Amino acid sequence: MKTNFLLLLILPLLWSCSNDQDDVYQNIPLEFKVPSNFPPLAYDLANNPPTQKGFELGKKLFYEGRLASDGIVSCGFCHIQEDAFTHHGHSLSHGVNDAIGTRNTPSIQNLGYQTSFMYDGATTHLDLQPIIPFTSPIEMNGDFSKAIAMMKGDAEYQKMFQLAFTDGQINSENMLKALGQFMLMVTSSNSRFDKYRRNEAGGTLTQQELDGYAVFNQKCASCHATDLFTDNSFRNNGLPVNPLINDVGRFRVSQLAQDLHKFKVPSLRNVEKTAPYMHDGRLYTLEAVLDHYSSGVENSATLDPILKRNGMLGIALTASEKSQLIAFLKTLTDTQYLTDKRFSEY
Amino acid sequence: MKFQLKKIAAVVVIAISLFSCSNDDEVISGNGNLKLEFDNVYNANNLAFNTPYTNSNGEVVKINKLKYIVSNIVLTKADGTTFTLPKSQSYFIVDEATAASALLNLPNIPAANYTKVSFGIGVDQVQFNLGATGQGDFLALAQTAGMMWSWSAGYKFLAFEGTFTSSTVTTATSFMVHTGQTGTDYNYTTVTLNLPTNALVRTTITPQVHIMADISKVLDGSNKISLTASNGMGMGAMIMSGDKLPIITSNLPTMFSVEHVHND
Repeated sequence: MKTNFLLLLILPLLWSCSNDQDDVYQNIPLEFKVPSNFPPLAYDLANNPPTQKGFELGKKLFYEGRLASDGIVSCGFCHIQEDAFTHHGHSLSHGVNDAIGTRNTPSIQNLGYQTSFMYDGATTHLDLQPIIPFTSPIEMNGDFSKAIAMMKGDAEYQKMFQLAFTDGQINSENMLKALGQFMLMVTSSNSRFDKYRRNEAGGTLTQQELDGYAVFNQKCASCHATDLFTDNSFRNNGLPVNPLINDVGRFRVSQLAQDLHKFKVPSLRNVEKTAPYMHDGRLYTLEAVLDHYSSGVENSATLDPILKRNGMLGIALTASEKSQLIAFLKTLTDTQYLTDKRFSEY
Repeated sequence: MKFQLKKIAAVVVIAISLFSCSNDDEVISGNGNLKLEFDNVYNANNLAFNTPYTNSNGEVVKINKLKYIVSNIVLTKADGTTFTLPKSQSYFIVDEATAASALLNLPNIPAANYTKVSFGIGVDQVQFNLGATGQGDFLALAQTAGMMWSWSAGYKFLAFEGTFTSSTVTTATSFMVHTGQTGTDYNYTTVTLNLPTNALVRTTITPQVHIMADISKVLDGSNKISLTASNGMGMGAMIMSGDKLPIITSNLPTMFSVEHVHND
C-alpha cells in the first residue's frame, strides 16, 4: 500500500520528464500583481493569461526587425527601454522608407491599466494596438501574411509558438497575444515615489519634493490622476497648432467637433527620461513644459475648461513652484524598470 | 700572386657587402605603438560646440553632438605590405565631447616605416552579421555611447546633431544626422590616407598621426544636403534613413586628411 502510494507520487515526475521536449506547450504562468497604490487593472487577464514562454515570444517579436517591410524598424527601434520605451531626443520618429511620423513615441509602461491606446485612442485593446504601428506605412509598413510566412520558415519561431500557445499555431492571433503579454508585463511600480506611497524602505522624499507633490495635487492631479498620473481622458492643453502637421487629435477617431486637437493625457511616470514632450515632441525640457502651462496656453474652442478658469489662460505657477514640481516629477523615475533585464533586447 | 689577388678581391667584396649591410638598414624588429589623433574641425575652424558656422546653403549651424565609429584600421608599410589590427581591438568611438576619445592608442604594431593608414567609418557588415552576441564588449560600449539602434537596425556610424537657422527657418531648429544601414544600403565606408612623412614605429618610437576631420563635409561636401529642405514638418531636420544616407556616406571619406606625423 505504502509502496503504491509512493509510486503514485513518482509517476507525475516520470511523466513530466518524458514529456520535457523542446516543442510542446509549456504553461509557466507569470504572476501579475497589482501594486497596492495602483488603480484596478483594465486588461482582462483571463482572455490572454501571460506565461513565461508567451512573454519570451512577445519580447522576441517586439525587437524583431523582420516584421517591418525594410527588415529594420522593430517596435524597439522607437521604444527604447532606457528612455522609458520612448525615442529619446526624437520629436517625431522615422519609420521605413524614410517616412516620418507626426507624433512623438509614447512610453510603454503599465499599459494594462489603460482603457485606450495611441494619442487619439484609436484602439481600446492592448492586444490589438500593435496592428497600428505594424501596418502603418510610415512606421513598420508590415504585412501579416509576410510576417507569418517569415516566422513559419524560422526554426526558432516554430519552437517558440509551440512553447507559448496550446495550439502552437503561427498566426496573427498568437502573434498579437504574445506581444500583448510582453507589453502587459512591462510594469513600472518601484520609483522612489511608489515606495513613499507604500511606506516602503527607500521611500523618503525631500521637503522640496514633498512641496512639489503638494503643488502637483493642487494644480496638476485633476488630469494626471491616480498614481498612474492619467485619467485616461482626451484633452486640448492649449498647444498652438503646428500648421505643417495640423494634427486634429481625437477628432481623427471620433469626427466630433468637440474633440478637435484633443490628445490623451499621458502618464508622467519616468517623465524625466521621456523628453521631448507633448504629442509632437515640441518641448525639450520639463521646464519648457511648465512654462507652456504657465504662460504658453493658447485659447481655442476646445481648450480644456480647466485651463481657462476665471478668465485666465493656463495654470499660475511661480518659479519656485516650478522647481518644486520638477523635483517631485523626478521622484517618478523607476530605475528598476529602466534597467530590468527581462525587458531588455540584449 | 694571381691567387693572392683573387683572395684580396674576395676580401674586399665581402668587406664592402658587410659594410653596406650595416650601413643601409638599421635593424628594425619588435613591436611598438602608434597613435591616431582625430582632430574635428569645421572648415578652417577648430570645432567648438554651440558656435555658429555658415554652410554653403546659407544655413547657420550650431553643433552640439558629434560621434563616429572608427574601425578596421590597416597600416601600409613602405614595402607595400600591410598590417591589419586584430578585429577584437579594431572598433573605436570618437566623441567630440570627450577629449580622450579622439586619441586612439594602437598597441602591438610591428616596427616598420608606415606610409598609409586606412580605416572604416562604422561597423562593417561581416562584423554586424555575427549578431548581437558576436559583438564582444563593443556592443555595450556603443549602447552606452548612444551609438546603437535596436539590433535589427544596428549601429549608428555617425551621429551629428545640433540646431540650425536659415532664411526660411528663422528660429533655431534642431537637426540630427545619423548614418547606418537602411533597408537598401549598408552605408559603411572606408578611408585611406597617405601620410605626408612616414610613421616610424619602433620599440622606442610611438608616432602620432594627426588626422583632421572636417565635419562641414558631412552635409556640405561634394554632395550638398539642405537642412531647411529636410525640415518638412517644422519639427526639425531628421536625417537618419532613406536615400540621403548613401549620399552623406559618400561625403564622409572626404572629411579626413593627415595634417602631420610626429615621430617621437
